[in-house]
Amino acid sequence: MRPFKYTRASDAMNAVSTVSATTSAKFLAGGTNLLDLMKEDVERPTELVDVTKLNFAQIKAANGGVSIGATAKNTDTANHPLIRQNYPLLTQAILASASGQIRNMATNGGNLNQRTRCSYFYDVAMPCNKRTPGTGCGALDGVNRNHAIFGWSEKCVATYPGDMAVALAALEATVKVQTKDGTERTIAFADYHRLPGDAPEKDNNLNHGELITSIELPKNNFADKSYYLKVRERASYAFALVSVAAALETKGNVIENVRLALGGVAHKPWRALEAEKFLKGKAATEVNFKLAAEMEMKTAKPLEYNKFKVELGRRAIARALMQAMNGGKA
Amino acid sequence: MVGEAVSRIDGLLKVTGTAAYATDYAIKNTAHAVIFKSAIAAGKILDIDTGAAEKAAGVLAVITHKNAPKLNEKGGIRGGALLQSPNIEFHGQHIGVVVAETFEQARYAARLVKVNYQKTDAKVDFEKHEKEAVMSKEKDKADAVRGDVEAAFQNAEFKVDEIYDTPIEHHQPMEPHATIAVWEGEKLTLYNGSQIVNGAQTAAAATLNLKPENVRIITPHIGGGFGSKGGQWANLILTAVAAKAVNRPVKLALTRQQMFNSVGLRQRNRQHLRLAATKDGKLTALAHETTTHTATTGEYIEPCGDCSKVMYDVPNSLISYRVVPMNIILPTYTRGPGKSTGSFALESAMDELAYQLKIDPIEFRLKNEPAKDPSSGKPWSSRKTVECLKEGAKAFGWEKRKLEPRSNRQGNYLIGYGVACGTYPARQRNTSAIVKLTRNGSDINASIELAASDLGTGTHTILAQTAADALGLPMNKIGVKIGDSALPPAAGSVGSVGAASFANAVNDACEKITDELIAKSGKQFFVRPTAAQLMISENTSEFQTRVDAKPPTDADKFSAHSFNANFAEVRVNDATGMVRVNRFLAATGAGKILNPKTAHSQIIGGGIWGIGMALTEESTLDPRRGNFVTRSFADYHVPSNLDIGAMETIFINEDDKIPNKLGVKGIGEVGIVGVAAAIANAVFNATGKRIRELPITPDKLL
Ligand SMILES: Cc1cc2nc3c(=O)[nH]c(=O)nc-3n(C[C@H](O)[C@H](O)[C@H](O)COP(=O)(O)OP(=O)(O)OC[C@H]3O[C@@H](n4cnc5c(N)ncnc54)[C@H](O)[C@@H]3O)c2cc1C
Ligand code: SF4
Repeated sequence: MRPFKYTRASDAMNAVSTVSATTSAKFLAGGTNLLDLMKEDVERPTELVDVTKLNFAQIKAANGGVSIGATAKNTDTANHPLIRQNYPLLTQAILASASGQIRNMATNGGNLNQRTRCSYFYDVAMPCNKRTPGTGCGALDGVNRNHAIFGWSEKCVATYPGDMAVALAALEATVKVQTKDGTERTIAFADYHRLPGDAPEKDNNLNHGELITSIELPKNNFADKSYYLKVRERASYAFALVSVAAALETKGNVIENVRLALGGVAHKPWRALEAEKFLKGKAATEVNFKLAAEMEMKTAKPLEYNKFKVELGRRAIARALMQAMNGGKA
Repeated sequence: MVGEAVSRIDGLLKVTGTAAYATDYAIKNTAHAVIFKSAIAAGKILDIDTGAAEKAAGVLAVITHKNAPKLNEKGGIRGGALLQSPNIEFHGQHIGVVVAETFEQARYAARLVKVNYQKTDAKVDFEKHEKEAVMSKEKDKADAVRGDVEAAFQNAEFKVDEIYDTPIEHHQPMEPHATIAVWEGEKLTLYNGSQIVNGAQTAAAATLNLKPENVRIITPHIGGGFGSKGGQWANLILTAVAAKAVNRPVKLALTRQQMFNSVGLRQRNRQHLRLAATKDGKLTALAHETTTHTATTGEYIEPCGDCSKVMYDVPNSLISYRVVPMNIILPTYTRGPGKSTGSFALESAMDELAYQLKIDPIEFRLKNEPAKDPSSGKPWSSRKTVECLKEGAKAFGWEKRKLEPRSNRQGNYLIGYGVACGTYPARQRNTSAIVKLTRNGSDINASIELAASDLGTGTHTILAQTAADALGLPMNKIGVKIGDSALPPAAGSVGSVGAASFANAVNDACEKITDELIAKSGKQFFVRPTAAQLMISENTSEFQTRVDAKPPTDADKFSAHSFNANFAEVRVNDATGMVRVNRFLAATGAGKILNPKTAHSQIIGGGIWGIGMALTEESTLDPRRGNFVTRSFADYHVPSNLDIGAMETIFINEDDKIPNKLGVKGIGEVGIVGVAAAIANAVFNATGKRIRELPITPDKLL
């Protein structure tokens, strides 16, 4: 590991100004992603500001919805009664991720900002535009089984690997951020993570030094009919090949409102807006779910090794919607 | 005690974290070494700049091919990478070592080394180079032909002719390869996990140009090896070289990522399997042709055809191997070498043929049960395949299986049952042992000493059980000293020879000490007294003896193997293709079971790796660059707890003193053999899809 300076922030403003002052400074939360990347020499911060003692660990009712603190642990978030009752989709997504030990350490803020699992990104012997801009994309002509089928660019075909954010995209959460000048701003979830474009080194739209303080969940009526489906290569402790966060609000058999977001397919949680548009006002039937899935996946652009994700995505969307209709049971 | 389900005597040490593994020894003044590796797969180092690394804080030495001592590359270390030349043979080959005061300093400095390479075309894409494969120079890999296979195929009414692919896999024991090297003058002590203690000693001595007696290996506990610690690799030697260079003890532990290209692998095998049968289910021909890769600098081929040699009564057969050298690290022994992968091909093909014939796959196997070893013509020492199949089927509830696939559905899941057999040779190898008895009043203690190894399998325990019975002492009076090359030479924990070799030697030593105590007493006994009784009656306070145990001279006249039958019930998600093993049962005939508890653990351990092999484990190479893209446990998927359903084992009673006096056949390897096929067969039964390429990941079932 390269030598670095470590401080523990006493308050949010102090954390933000310290990190803002140095381009190579970073926040440290649970460390489950950042420390791994430092050991692999991928991340090379010269200064770490520990934010875990800041007062952002609450999960509380707010504005009709729920506010979850940035430093609250994944485990505590998933199991909080307000989340379990009102946003079971989020509980399922968090519990489908990583392992018990990691979720006990991982924070919500750190989770949003976890970096891709592209193995060329992790391997400093390999070219990677995200790690070292301008070196090329190792995965583009490499083994890109775990990579994107939507929204990628020649510069980067990586996926955002997390689960929690896929549910948050479907729930249309907002991210609350403390800025350098001491003000607060909120970012709609759809605008939080980015597509790679020409700047794959930027995973999201936070400015350097901006601190996530909370994630706001608006009130909704999806709690009875939602489901997080994660397809992966072992039963636990594996990143998604494809995942689907599905949420429905129905009247009789008619879909009044629907949200669909996909994980493992793009550089950000991928809202399946085409499918949502198609389904709104239609009957909640397997046939319609399959048509919607078909429609969404038509625009996919798979790479050499991940063609299977298109068919898998189709099936996963339809199945997740069915499970959501069944009250979110597996 | 022998035959009782005794808990492991090292259990308390393990669960309290006090069992010392190789690098747990607290040795004063130890420096830390970190290896750095090649970023290309083939070519040569033009220039290597270690200046910045040498100047970094805490750095004591940087060793590369430019300043490494001359070593004997033919000394028995596997896989090269001993820093003897600038040539690069595979991606991730060791190219240097940094030694520093701390691990972090060494790792940091290793990253400051700048290397200028000259790349040449690397052969890393098996698909592309497969056709260059040629016959091996090894005699046991020559084409083995019986009868006229091609004629038999031509005339056959029912046949299977398919390719079965298995990927590169890695051993990845929990304890990575790690060493402490300590020099005292010309004498070298290596704390190192070694499945074969004396093998590590001779290889290290020969490579470092030392006398074997000047090298001591200490390795009482090993955190798994699965074959990767059977032979020794460059990291062992580089630790010694580093320690010499800085004139201090040095500790070197490979990282999890480095393990992927440092200590061998299970190679990729493409197996062409053909079977022919008459319409009433009698096999007429079997051809098992394996194509694989090896290193550019050495050859290792998994014997994929081994099971096919002995499993079935078939008059015409062909077993062959073709191999192509590639820029990939040397493959090596990996649990159930050849048999676990070979049985996937053979036992899948058997299932395919049974389905064609509309015969139950158990019935089909019973029809082709050989009366003697078809490959050698030798009689079996014992063979319990029939019992394994029948008793296993009963315990598993095989009668609930439907012959037609897709006929068992529960909600969103398709349920399937599969069966497959396996086998592994039973052998005893030369092993010496000392037994020492001491008496204090009526309190007698025994010390059993031999250079055996305990991979975490229970060697300490079964040797204490064996000695307790043979000496007439309770188990807590037996001390077991193993894992030290200063002790009498022993076979290794490899190829399922450990238990048979170690336990027979210990038993012989205990018998011998009893004989000697009787002789010493000068008395005649109607009932043979125990050594413990003699120590008291003869008022002896100390007594010891040593044996050099050898396998029985007649063992070679027979074909001796363990056999098993594996049963799996899977459920397959009909939308996502995710497969789970609900239940697994292995019925095993493996001779005398010394300890049913440790034996159960061995078999379920093999079964779990078999599940991993079937469903999740695969090391993927970038076919252009030669790097592994699976480079940690986040990408290389060993099964998690949630992947494993009910695991059951039954042992078929077997009394076979032919392979060795105690009738021990060994269970370390056979547990994984046939497992992947049982699961693939169950997936077929569930879905109607025959997957011939492991692992069976969801994409293959869409
Ligand atoms: C083996 C393994 C398997 C995993 N499997 C999964 C999985 O299946 N699904 C899944 O979703 N995740 C998985 N994860 C990832 C895990 O969820 C993340 O590592 C974790 O959520 C990160 O949280 P942390 O608090 O530890 O973040 P850290 O590692 O501390 O930080 C991560 C990043 O976030 C930044 N950061 C932290 N807090 C803030 C803040 N308040 N404001 C701004 N920036 C901040 C840091 O600077 C850093 O860049 C896995 C991780 C591992 C190691
Ligand atoms: S896909 Fe993105 S992260 Fe992966 S190698 Fe290419 S640029 Fe790097």
